[in-house]
Amino acid sequence: MSDLIVLPLVLPLFGAFLLPIVMRTSISIGAWIGPAILAYGCWILGDQWMSGTALPFSLAIGGFAPPMGINLYIDSLALLFAFAVQLLGLLFWPFKIDQETARRQALMLLLVAASTGLALSGDLFNLYVFYELVAVATFGLIAASGSSAAYASTIRYLILSGIGSVLTLLGIALIYSQTGTLNLAHLAQLAPEQLNNKLGLTAFLTILIGVGVKAELFPVNTWAPEVYATAASRVSAFLAGLVSKLALLIILRLLVLIFHQPEAVQVMLVLGILGVITGELAAWRAKDVRRMLAFSSIGQLGMIFIALAIPEQGGLLAVLALTFHHLLIKSGLFMLADGWGGAIEKLRGAAKRSPLAAAIFVLFSLSLIGMPPLPGFWAKFTLITQLAAQTSPLYLIGLTVFLLATVIEAAYLFRLAALLYGPAAEDTPIDTIPKPAGLSLATASLFGIGLLAAALFITPVGDLLSHVAGQAANADLYINTVFAGTGGSQ
Amino acid sequence: MMPEISLELILYTTALGLISIGLAGVVLSRHLFRMVLALVIAEAGANLMLVLAGYRWDAVAPILTTLGEHPPMVDPVPQAMVLTAIVIGVGIQALAVSILIRIRQRYGTLDRSQVAERMDAEIADTAGIPRDVSQESPLGERPLPSLPDSTVEIRGGHS
Amino acid sequence: MRNLTSLLFAGGLGFMLLAIASGLDFGAPPMLVGGAIQSTAPQETGATNIVTSVVLGYRGIDTLGELSILFAAAAAAGLVLGRRHTTAGTLTEGGFVLKHGGAMLFPLLMTIGFYIIFHGHLTPGGGFQGGVILAAAFFLPLLARPGARLHHGMLSVIEGFAGSSFILIGLAALSEGEAFLQPMLVQDTLGQLVSAGTLPLLYLAVGLKVGAELAGLLSHLAQTESEV
Repeated sequence: MSDLIVLPLVLPLFGAFLLPIVMRTSISIGAWIGPAILAYGCWILGDQWMSGTALPFSLAIGGFAPPMGINLYIDSLALLFAFAVQLLGLLFWPFKIDQETARRQALMLLLVAASTGLALSGDLFNLYVFYELVAVATFGLIAASGSSAAYASTIRYLILSGIGSVLTLLGIALIYSQTGTLNLAHLAQLAPEQLNNKLGLTAFLTILIGVGVKAELFPVNTWAPEVYATAASRVSAFLAGLVSKLALLIILRLLVLIFHQPEAVQVMLVLGILGVITGELAAWRAKDVRRMLAFSSIGQLGMIFIALAIPEQGGLLAVLALTFHHLLIKSGLFMLADGWGGAIEKLRGAAKRSPLAAAIFVLFSLSLIGMPPLPGFWAKFTLITQLAAQTSPLYLIGLTVFLLATVIEAAYLFRLAALLYGPAAEDTPIDTIPKPAGLSLATASLFGIGLLAAALFITPVGDLLSHVAGQAANADLYINTVFAGTGGSQ
Repeated sequence: MMPEISLELILYTTALGLISIGLAGVVLSRHLFRMVLALVIAEAGANLMLVLAGYRWDAVAPILTTLGEHPPMVDPVPQAMVLTAIVIGVGIQALAVSILIRIRQRYGTLDRSQVAERMDAEIADTAGIPRDVSQESPLGERPLPSLPDSTVEIRGGHS
Repeated sequence: MRNLTSLLFAGGLGFMLLAIASGLDFGAPPMLVGGAIQSTAPQETGATNIVTSVVLGYRGIDTLGELSILFAAAAAAGLVLGRRHTTAGTLTEGGFVLKHGGAMLFPLLMTIGFYIIFHGHLTPGGGFQGGVILAAAFFLPLLARPGARLHHGMLSVIEGFAGSSFILIGLAALSEGEAFLQPMLVQDTLGQLVSAGTLPLLYLAVGLKVGAELAGLLSHLAQTESEV
């Protein structure tokens, strides 16, 4: 049964390869391939979760025992992420039928497969390959919107992410030269002796910057506002909601398993703080909805980086809470931006035109700011208690910035909310106020319902997350699972 | 204290030098196509670094020629990884070039700051907001320098 | 000023990395994984070219990912450049040497391309290298006669079937109760042309896919004219 876990990773690739051929003969059959594969992936992963297979387990691809072969490592966290990838792939599926449907849907399938790979893979170079596949599929999907600005933002993103991949590759080369292995569990065994030095730190920093491009880490996040402003809303939602979190997952695994130097954590803390400051201030200044959301997501990811600088179970709990909270909210907000994407000023009185959308927006805003009893409060509260418990002054700066950022967030979100519920401008008839498209609004409502459900069942959700965080924080468990589960040992 | 110039030093200097040259090139170039080329150089450096990770003195290529005893062989894993990395690089470069072709056709230029400016203008335009002043252009109105004839001609071709 | 700072920064970065890299033990890699693979690869996969064992066996999923990247790049380039190809006489016809040389080289390039693919498990080379040569064979006539067209439909059928058969071979192992992409049918004929079980089949799929993908990309780039 557990062998089937490879299918959600492989079937989308299979579908993507075949899609152009099938579409050539029959578009109506081809249009069902992608959703069917993703639904099947959801079912397999959900079944894995429900059937109570002992987690975590490790699966050797090709039957070669790690560290020689590549293995997939499936713990609750990886399973959760993989499920989210398949589900969001289904929710953001590009249904539109036109001349380029085959290519667009194939790229979407590739993006889903690669993201699943990022969630599951337990090998450093394999992660790099999937990371690049995510990048290329993303470029295609952004450029697919076809405007000149989309091409320009894609090439700027491509160049930045090219720098990132050179740095990542350099880091991998350094690690391999030093240790002679790429398997994360094997590296975790060797790290205390071999990577606890300057070389290890350099390797971590290069990989951090490289992977940080997708995670919107402070100096390498300039692509985010322009890409989110030009790409289709569902693509932005997938990128900001999920792909950035998967890049974070790589950094989380590296921190927990391999790099324990205090300097590594400090660098990340500083970059996270800078990200929060720049992101939130820029969001406050932004004049259009999409870029406001983009900058706000930079700020939010900065907060998660601050939380990630506490690599213990408590810190990880805060990371997971913030991560899944942001995943729900930002995806939903970007779906609202499909239609509301223009200048903020244009949205005067939009609540009258589309009361549901405005209500959902207010719900998301309140949770983002951290209003009890919504889940956002709980996520932020976890981080605050964790930060306050740290002794180093740097964490206190982090705490201060975090609280200030919340104030700024409240300022720009409420400014927009006030516009929505304010009177419409006198010369604009109510029909011309933009409103989100029906399907996008429905998707956003789904995220809103998810958020409310999480608020109702906050205790079980919290217990689940702390269980997941405990599993993810346990490096010994990882090592033992990988080397015991497949018989091979070092 | 001149360090001894060894093969090792030369090889590492080449690999890391290529990476530095490439990264400097990306930052310094004003032309998007040159930025892509600089990226190719940096990638070559990273790939060389990866190959060096598996090098062994006095060892042969990892291919069995005789059964039984064989001389020491270099590490096969980095070679496989470099093969992968090179192919990935080729794919991304081809995509980059095709996007550049379209940008050149639409905007009539590949100058980095001009493309950025037009992109900002277009984003602001679609959103329906008055333009932000970009970082690279000074405040206040200033007449734009006239374009050279050849550019105008090409721009005449689009849209 | 900005230029100087970035130059200094890049130079400093290079020197710092050099200082760190010089601490590495050059020429004597740890060979933890590499050494283990070297000693078991011939028995486990039956290929004499150990790099092939790594590419298709031990790290087979990397190769699948890489094929997908090429596919994604080709699809994205197709999306960007669109389907319209107007090769109005902007490119000049090739000269005598290019035209006839291209025609003469075509069968030779095909032969050597397939030779390299089929011997990937025995000698240096394999699907990627052979695939690139195949792509060159198809691209050469395009250079000589800009009006000529590659059959894009044919190419996309080849690349689709090649890619999916790579996955099907992997899934076949899964359905036999083994792991995904596990090498099967390993015979005891080390060093023969027919050896290494499914690896040559995988390499054939890789070669065809890489060839079709690159030929498609190149012809897209060569034949793109303005959109309107």
